[in-house]
Amino acid sequence: MSRLWKEFSKGLWTELPPFRLVLGLCPTLAVTKTADNGLGMGLAVVFVLALSNLMISLLRKIIPAKVRIACFIVVAASLVVAVELLMQAYAYPLYQQLGIFVPLIVVNCIILGRAEAFASKNGPLLSMADGAGMGLGFTMSLTFLGGLRELLGSGAIFGVHVAWEGFQPLGLMVEAPGAFISLGVLLALMVFVQNLQRKRRGLALVEAPGHDCKSCGCCGKADNA
Amino acid sequence: MKPLNPLVLTVSVPPHKHYGSSVRGLMTAILMAMVPAAAMAVNTFGVDALRVMALSAGVAVLTEAACNRLMDRSQSVGDLHALTVGLAFAFLLPASAPWWLVAFGSAASIGVGKMMFGPLGGSPFCAPLVGWAICRVSWPGQMDLDASMLTMNLTYPLGQLKAFGWTSVQIQDTKSLLFGRQLGGLGAVQVAGVLIGGLYLVIKHHVSSIIPVGFLAGVATAAWLLHLINPVVYPPAMFHLLTGSVMFGAFFLATDGPSSPNRQIPMLLFGLLAGVMTIVIRVWGAYPDGVPFAILLANLFTPVLERIRPRPFGAR
Repeated sequence: MSRLWKEFSKGLWTELPPFRLVLGLCPTLAVTKTADNGLGMGLAVVFVLALSNLMISLLRKIIPAKVRIACFIVVAASLVVAVELLMQAYAYPLYQQLGIFVPLIVVNCIILGRAEAFASKNGPLLSMADGAGMGLGFTMSLTFLGGLRELLGSGAIFGVHVAWEGFQPLGLMVEAPGAFISLGVLLALMVFVQNLQRKRRGLALVEAPGHDCKSCGCCGKADNA
Repeated sequence: MKPLNPLVLTVSVPPHKHYGSSVRGLMTAILMAMVPAAAMAVNTFGVDALRVMALSAGVAVLTEAACNRLMDRSQSVGDLHALTVGLAFAFLLPASAPWWLVAFGSAASIGVGKMMFGPLGGSPFCAPLVGWAICRVSWPGQMDLDASMLTMNLTYPLGQLKAFGWTSVQIQDTKSLLFGRQLGGLGAVQVAGVLIGGLYLVIKHHVSSIIPVGFLAGVATAAWLLHLINPVVYPPAMFHLLTGSVMFGAFFLATDGPSSPNRQIPMLLFGLLAGVMTIVIRVWGAYPDGVPFAILLANLFTPVLERIRPRPFGAR
């Protein structure tokens, strides 16, 4: 049981997909204009991720190693088609908002990453817990990012206007650059919080990459250095 | 045997002698170079210009002080860089800018444009332009130089050029353009003042002359070529040189140290790129004045341009 909880909960903070693993950035940047969109996208990913992990884990003895990526994609693609049809049937406005990014879940790095790194090596129950945890972490992050951008960019949250009268929305936040800037700032804040925790526990801090010969390469001699 | 006199050896690292230049000195020179344009701006736009400049500079300094405090860095407002950034940001704004826009943009210039990338020297972008771009994208209405300045009887030549074409631009003579009889960023359009300050900086070797020369040459060549192709549609090079923030961009923004290359050929290419991009944006882009975005774009090329360097001595 504790193992199950461990696999489930690691996706919620320590290996939070978009902010810790920096995976699945395409939907993270593209569909987080509003909290609604983020939540919808996240739930679709939870569904696909949990079920694809389950199926791949069940099939892991059958799938030949040489063609495993293709098999993962086929499994993910069938699930995504199911999500897409369900969304068209029951949440059509959301489907219109998300557009191309629903079919693109097929090639989302998180799906492939979890299939390759976890589901193809572990049992079905653990894999499903892993997929659900990762998916929920992804949902949380997308909803948070979407909420932040919606709040600053249009003064609302989940479509409900919350800003004061005369609030001038920061239009940049709902444009594409706003997604990059807010993602970057959130990543920095994550490291900041992590460092605060590590300082309290007396561990070494996470440092930014330094400017050394390896990161420069101007003189073309970095390989020798 | 008598011991030798104890010999005291002092070991110090180079530089052994310093000729006294400092960040503070450079920033003082830049601030002094901005004074003529600032005075002309107050003369043209009245106390509104003074309000915007004072608020922007003040907020920039306060933001830097607060960031330093929050980030556990040594206090750096004494080097006057924040003040310079704040004033340069104000120079790009319309004089009618509301206080919250000035304050937010100035804080963003320092916070996002400078402090986020480390202390002075780490920023990949010219700091005032970051704040300008954030404000321009977020609040196009308040940043619209034309629509926000309807009470003035001046016109915005670049806006007219973009919207109605060259034939309907009202201010065309060099003298009016030179002496700031046009709308635009409140300090940036005081072309004569900016030119005096810029030449002072260049002559006193506070900034290298290569970037301004490259920038102005890029603007002039691209505009001249277009004018040659069709003189009815495209204005002459002189018009492009004297409108908007070309002069201010050439002498004060493109020469920003951390975000521009530091060897001669890269500097020239950097200037030319920014200059040509200015004309490209003005002619085919969505924004009337391309200077800020052109310089931001050129800033992105700085790391690539810096790879143009002589071979290290002795390398094969």
